[in-house]
Amino acid sequence: MAVTTKNLPQLYRFCFLMTGDAAKAQTAFQDTVRDAATRTDADEPPPDRLWFFREARERCIAVTEEGIQAEPGLLEEAEISPDAAAQIATLTPEQLAVWISAAPEPQRSAMALFYLDEFTLPELLSLLDMKAGELSDLVCSGRRQFQSWLDSTTAYYGGEAHHAG
Amino acid sequence: MEEKRIMPDKSELLLGCAPITERPGMDRAMRVAINQVRHSKKAATFGHQQAFDKALAKLVRNIPVDEQLAEWFVKENLVPVVRRGWKKIVRNPVMIAIGIALLVIGGVTAYRVYEKLHDFPGADKARRLLSVAASNRSVLLDPLQTDAGALSDLFFMKHHLEHYDVPTEFAQFKTLGSRVFDDDEVRRVAQIWVKEKRMQFFLFPAEPDKEGKINDFSDWRFVELEGWTGAVTQRNGVCFMAVIRGGEKDLRAYLEKKNA
Repeated sequence: MAVTTKNLPQLYRFCFLMTGDAAKAQTAFQDTVRDAATRTDADEPPPDRLWFFREARERCIAVTEEGIQAEPGLLEEAEISPDAAAQIATLTPEQLAVWISAAPEPQRSAMALFYLDEFTLPELLSLLDMKAGELSDLVCSGRRQFQSWLDSTTAYYGGEAHHAG
Repeated sequence: MEEKRIMPDKSELLLGCAPITERPGMDRAMRVAINQVRHSKKAATFGHQQAFDKALAKLVRNIPVDEQLAEWFVKENLVPVVRRGWKKIVRNPVMIAIGIALLVIGGVTAYRVYEKLHDFPGADKARRLLSVAASNRSVLLDPLQTDAGALSDLFFMKHHLEHYDVPTEFAQFKTLGSRVFDDDEVRRVAQIWVKEKRMQFFLFPAEPDKEGKINDFSDWRFVELEGWTGAVTQRNGVCFMAVIRGGEKDLRAYLEKKNA
């Protein structure tokens, strides 16, 4: 796939998921795109679209380093509920971004890239520099933790979802 | 009691990160794992996982993009499409290989065209006889030890071949044998094998030009075929060709020696 501005909305969404903050996401996004434009002007354009996401990931990690860092393994887990889709439908994208951005690295990057639904498995593994087993573990535990969080924040009664709190 | 953790197999690992949207070109192992789980007891669990993933992906797609930021997306020149420059194309090994192949083909074609343009009538016959020279052995010829120049009379007396004369440049060479044979294309051919550098001489009827005229030439013209070279001259409607295994310079040595 060619690197065009058509890929940029997904890049911004990735930054938003990684930072959980529109201003920080915008900064990381704009810096990445500016860097790409500078390289293109210097006749050294980004080699592929993965370059954008690698760069943006580093910027997002850097921009969020100052905040409170999440620690791995502290969240409770729950089995995926048959009603999970309905529970998720009650959420806003901002809530999802806040949750993902609070996850520890590399789970945060794995979840953000995976749920962009943009990349093939080999691309994901290349971006995250990990093996399939590691990615699978991160995504699976992320699912269960998110389900646990869903269960604690939303309740589902007879096909209608309500916020618990 | 602590729950015993079971090591997941490869297909389970793959299913953990199964694609949310199944696109063409999916990895075979992943495709197999998905098909298997859909027909197993775990189909419902996997279905829940997929519904969960799709719902989250949908939420991600709904992430709003600021209007100010959206302007970045319409500036197509901000991140231009990476086009492969001609330098990069030229440096591609495949292109280099194709280029070399085309050069070789072009060179051979140009050489062939040049050769045809400068060919004399009968050059094709001469080349055909070069292949005869390459495939023959001296035992096929009738043994005969004399001067090559003396065979003109033999060809005339025995085979009624008029003007089948060996030029003076080669007339003194000692022969090993000779024969006269009919060739489908060249017709009556006299072949002489000499001791000197295992050279062979061929005498054969000249080829008329496009207008049907036979134009003799007293100079030496060369033909080559697969490492064999022939020097041809034409007198009285008969071509004489001295053949040697080697290049033009090997034959020129004999021709220049005589001229000197």
